[in-house]
Amino acid sequence: MDIEGKYFKDFLARGEKQKNHRSEKTAEKQHSKGKLTAWERIELLFDEGTFEEIDKFVTSASVDFGKADKILGDGVITGHGKISGRLAFVFSQDFTIMGGSLGSVHAAKIAKIQDMALKTGAPLIGLIDSGGARIQEGVQSLAGYSGIFFRNVKSSGVIPQISVIMGPAAGGAVYSPALTDFVFMTDKTSYMFVTGPNVVKEVLNEDVSFEELGGASIHGKKSGVSHFVYDDEENTIKGVRRLLSYIPSNNMEHPPFIDTFDVEGRFEEKLRDVVPDDPNKPYDVKDVIRLIVDNGRYMEVSEGFAQNIFIGFARLAGKTIGIIANQPKVLAGTLDINASMKAARFIRFCDAYNIPLLVLEDVPGFLPGINQEHGGLIKHGAKLLYAFCEAVVPRVTVILRKSYGGAYCVMNSKNIGGDFNFAWPTAEIAVMGPEGAVAILYKKELDEAEDKAKLKKDLAQKYRNEIANPYVAEDKGYIDEVIDPAVTRTKLISAFQALENKHVYVPDRRHGNIPL
Amino acid sequence: MILKIKNKDKKSDNKYIALGLDKKKYEFLFKADNTVAVNKKKSDIRIEEDDDGFTYVVWESRRVPVELVEKNQNRYEVLVNGISYKFSIESPISYKRKKFLDKTQIQSKTESIIAPMPGKIIDVLVEPNTHVSQGEAILILEAMKMQNEILSTVTGKIKSINIRKDDNVMKDDVLIEIEK
Amino acid sequence: MEKKIIKKLLIANRGEIAIRIIETAKKLGIETYVIKTAKEPSALYLKHADVICDFTQNTNELPEFLDVELIIKTAKEHKVDAIHPGYGFLAENPYFAQCCDDEGIIFIGPSADAIYKMGNKTIAKQLAIKHKVPLLEGSSGNVPSPKEALKIAEKIGYPVIIKAASGGGGRGMRIVEDASQVEKMFHLASNEAAKAFDDSSVFIEKYVRNPRHIEFQILGDKHGNIIHLGERECSIQRKHQKLIEESPSVALSEELRKIMGEQAINIAKSVKYCSVGTVEFLLDDDMNFYFMEMNTRIQVEHPVTETITGIDLIEQQIKMAQGDKLSIKQEDVQLNGWAIEYRINAEDVQANFSPFLGTIQHISFPKGKNVRVDTGVEDGSVITPYYDSMVAKLIVSGETREKAIANSLVAINKVKIKGVKTTIPFCKAVIENKDFQLGNLNTSFIDKKMDGIFNEDPDEKLMAAFFATMDYIKDEQMDEAAYVDFEKGRNITPWLIKRRIK
Repeated sequence: MDIEGKYFKDFLARGEKQKNHRSEKTAEKQHSKGKLTAWERIELLFDEGTFEEIDKFVTSASVDFGKADKILGDGVITGHGKISGRLAFVFSQDFTIMGGSLGSVHAAKIAKIQDMALKTGAPLIGLIDSGGARIQEGVQSLAGYSGIFFRNVKSSGVIPQISVIMGPAAGGAVYSPALTDFVFMTDKTSYMFVTGPNVVKEVLNEDVSFEELGGASIHGKKSGVSHFVYDDEENTIKGVRRLLSYIPSNNMEHPPFIDTFDVEGRFEEKLRDVVPDDPNKPYDVKDVIRLIVDNGRYMEVSEGFAQNIFIGFARLAGKTIGIIANQPKVLAGTLDINASMKAARFIRFCDAYNIPLLVLEDVPGFLPGINQEHGGLIKHGAKLLYAFCEAVVPRVTVILRKSYGGAYCVMNSKNIGGDFNFAWPTAEIAVMGPEGAVAILYKKELDEAEDKAKLKKDLAQKYRNEIANPYVAEDKGYIDEVIDPAVTRTKLISAFQALENKHVYVPDRRHGNIPL
Repeated sequence: MILKIKNKDKKSDNKYIALGLDKKKYEFLFKADNTVAVNKKKSDIRIEEDDDGFTYVVWESRRVPVELVEKNQNRYEVLVNGISYKFSIESPISYKRKKFLDKTQIQSKTESIIAPMPGKIIDVLVEPNTHVSQGEAILILEAMKMQNEILSTVTGKIKSINIRKDDNVMKDDVLIEIEK
Repeated sequence: MEKKIIKKLLIANRGEIAIRIIETAKKLGIETYVIKTAKEPSALYLKHADVICDFTQNTNELPEFLDVELIIKTAKEHKVDAIHPGYGFLAENPYFAQCCDDEGIIFIGPSADAIYKMGNKTIAKQLAIKHKVPLLEGSSGNVPSPKEALKIAEKIGYPVIIKAASGGGGRGMRIVEDASQVEKMFHLASNEAAKAFDDSSVFIEKYVRNPRHIEFQILGDKHGNIIHLGERECSIQRKHQKLIEESPSVALSEELRKIMGEQAINIAKSVKYCSVGTVEFLLDDDMNFYFMEMNTRIQVEHPVTETITGIDLIEQQIKMAQGDKLSIKQEDVQLNGWAIEYRINAEDVQANFSPFLGTIQHISFPKGKNVRVDTGVEDGSVITPYYDSMVAKLIVSGETREKAIANSLVAINKVKIKGVKTTIPFCKAVIENKDFQLGNLNTSFIDKKMDGIFNEDPDEKLMAAFFATMDYIKDEQMDEAAYVDFEKGRNITPWLIKRRIK
């Protein structure tokens, strides 16, 4: 082809048109709000020079929104690129074009990318910065949203879907992120709500700011909608890259292996001292995790929400594991509604994407109380139980300390399909805590005793020594082995290696009926 | 096949900004020739460790022991000689954003008292619409078996109390809101 | 008077004071017994003692060091001659002293009677009045009602302070500025007293603004001889907790020292005091002094007196207890140089001195002839919520106060502690404070004379920033430079692939 000829000249001219919009002047608009532009975000997300844009030149379907010159791309950039060398698809809404509002063409572009990601088995990342449905286009935009939701659900459990909220997401738009696997938010510049502050004011006459109604910290700590909250967009996108380094591209692959150069047989004497001698004294379970996993590095999910349970990804001998750990530091590590839901969803994600599960257990039971019971603790606790029972990936439990009653069963016990159950010598396994058990078993003796408190304490100690210890369970085979805390890492690595080829027969069904 | 993840170009200069809680900024420029500039001045600054497990920063004939207390994302707490300093580590872009947000954030009229640690509310010492002064104890939170007085950070009027006696709270929960 | 030589000594205490007592006991050839608790099963003091009494299986609700019956029982089992209570716990419990006496065990301290009388502030005041020791004006005895309180307050003039009769440590105290506050403060003080000490009775006295806290070390034997070993100034306090103490005090002239010392001895004599003890006074700007209370035990801050007098107070305490005659005369007591004690507590000064729990990973102290360190911890020791948060006492001396302060700065900079936050930054800020250096002290020093309770060093902050940045970069590099081996990830065996895709 003649590069001086008409064909090529037309081609080049088209390219220029697009560059007009992505100028520094437009960027300045976004920067002045403390935000990056749609294309800057994409640059940060992908490995250098790997991004390929598609549908650059499509234009809006709406005819009457007042401007003669239609802007190319209709407010969203779509395409694919490599993240740490792996294929990923992306759509990035451009707030500088009609506030990133979603019109039919905009929606069609997203749908096209969603279909492509599903076809090729690659993760889909949505960088969301949009005012919502494009009012001018009416039902067409609503139809567009619906199409996106439908595809979100179709892809669920097949390819990882990540939503990154970097501006407003209001009304129906919030449901696409809600349907995806992980939601990232940037503090102070991103909001999510179904009805905005204006409507709240109108209907309920309550004054509430954007930040208070649906800011990143609300969703990160109170509602649990957002799994990751970062201070700024750069770190948010770094977080997305980091998350992807733990998870596979689709449900057929194993998670990516990274050589962490950490010693497999690392002997950790410090683990012997993490759990305090006093069974009622709290400690930070993250200290245990740091000492077990490769290089002490993990990526916690939903850090601010339901802090009484820890969930997150880490590596053992280079391979990803998903960790579920009771946090004795918060509410003594009891399970409540939020903790059950948080952990259940995480377990199902790991199960869908071949990520083995490690459970670190120190749980005195479910949280008692009227609020919890009336709030449906039975139903929500059952979710956690269901998720564990259903999971077919390798599942290993280490009982660090308390493991009482129903919570013992729920937390990946041997009889709900846990593959290996280990216990530390500090473990206490029983139907209930020593104090409670003694009060029932020795009611008569206690009533008659002179020094009630002392007798109770003595009996509780006896109960601890004779019944609530890990050796009873080990003798009966409910615990595979009581281990020295210092060798936990070694034991876990060999356990997961043994389970690498685990396969469980699942009866044919459309899907189970998880108690929602 | 082994692929290398995107890497910062080692040959170019990399600039980082450590931003203190008091908004004081410390700029570290790591030059391509392996030299470091502290606040735009070329300096000899480095980290050393001794056999006892103490870590030191050495700078301009001073050698001080440092200890990492906590880190989360880009937020750090570092202990030097018993005083802890908090920083957020910023790139030039994120620093610009932060400065911008600080300027435009509307000065909130209400101050939220948040739980510094997870625990149980032992006692609420104030009632709505009462006046409190800075440093006054407004509630008692039991954590790690110890009772901690939570003090008011501002002088003002109690706007709302979000908790009750005997409630369990998580870290960072908003306990009480005070109108300045 | 009968005399019994002490050969075996049970120490009913823990931490640095247990070690301090063991040190002297060893010097005197006494065998030492200590108590091991489940709360601190590997504490340092256990390693110094000759015999360990194991209380770890104890299931009593009562804390071990407060369990009179158990301690007496143990003492009898081991046939010890004497019990040293240290400070705190049972040190000022007359019942315990009496029990020891009844069982024929020597209680190292004064008589139960002296403890009781000095422990009850109302009786102590009456004794002071009787012996013409100057006292703050106030109610004679407990005040039953706010109405009564108002009457007394009007008489002595505001401000007044309402105090719990069996109080201490700053609890159950309220300052009243004017008549309108009397009723409210009365209830607050008595409620707090009821909660803290099971005794809601309170009394009222004149409140002295910004006084100095001056206390006299007393030493008496069972033969009626009582001397004083000079004063200590403990004006650097926070919420009535002493933080820095020194001896002597800049405020006292030789003349005033003599007068106050005599009055202190008078108080001690009123209860036939026969051990080491401390008489506390308030000293106002016009050099008027008022008797506050007498502490009938060895004090935390006793090392400063030891340093400048050269007298081993624990040795004296043991000797007096076994009935020895006092061998030191008042005129022999010389105050040489200056000593300052800094309490290094595991507390977070940046969070209003809240206790800082954790494990001490590393700890090291300076050595030298001007430095003395009394500590009960070592590498690996745990700061528990069960006991006080003291890590160590750093006692620094010099020929003059200026030199002692100069030495202090050098010494405190050499204290290295990793793992817990301590009050060292506070001590440093005090040492660097102009008013402290000039000796302008009073009990509101921290509130009125200090700009902040710790000083930030801009250079140190920069270095901290650098450290944080380097750690961040290290993390970033780990994230970005890691090699992803996809082949290994994709390596699914035929066994698995066949079963996964049916």
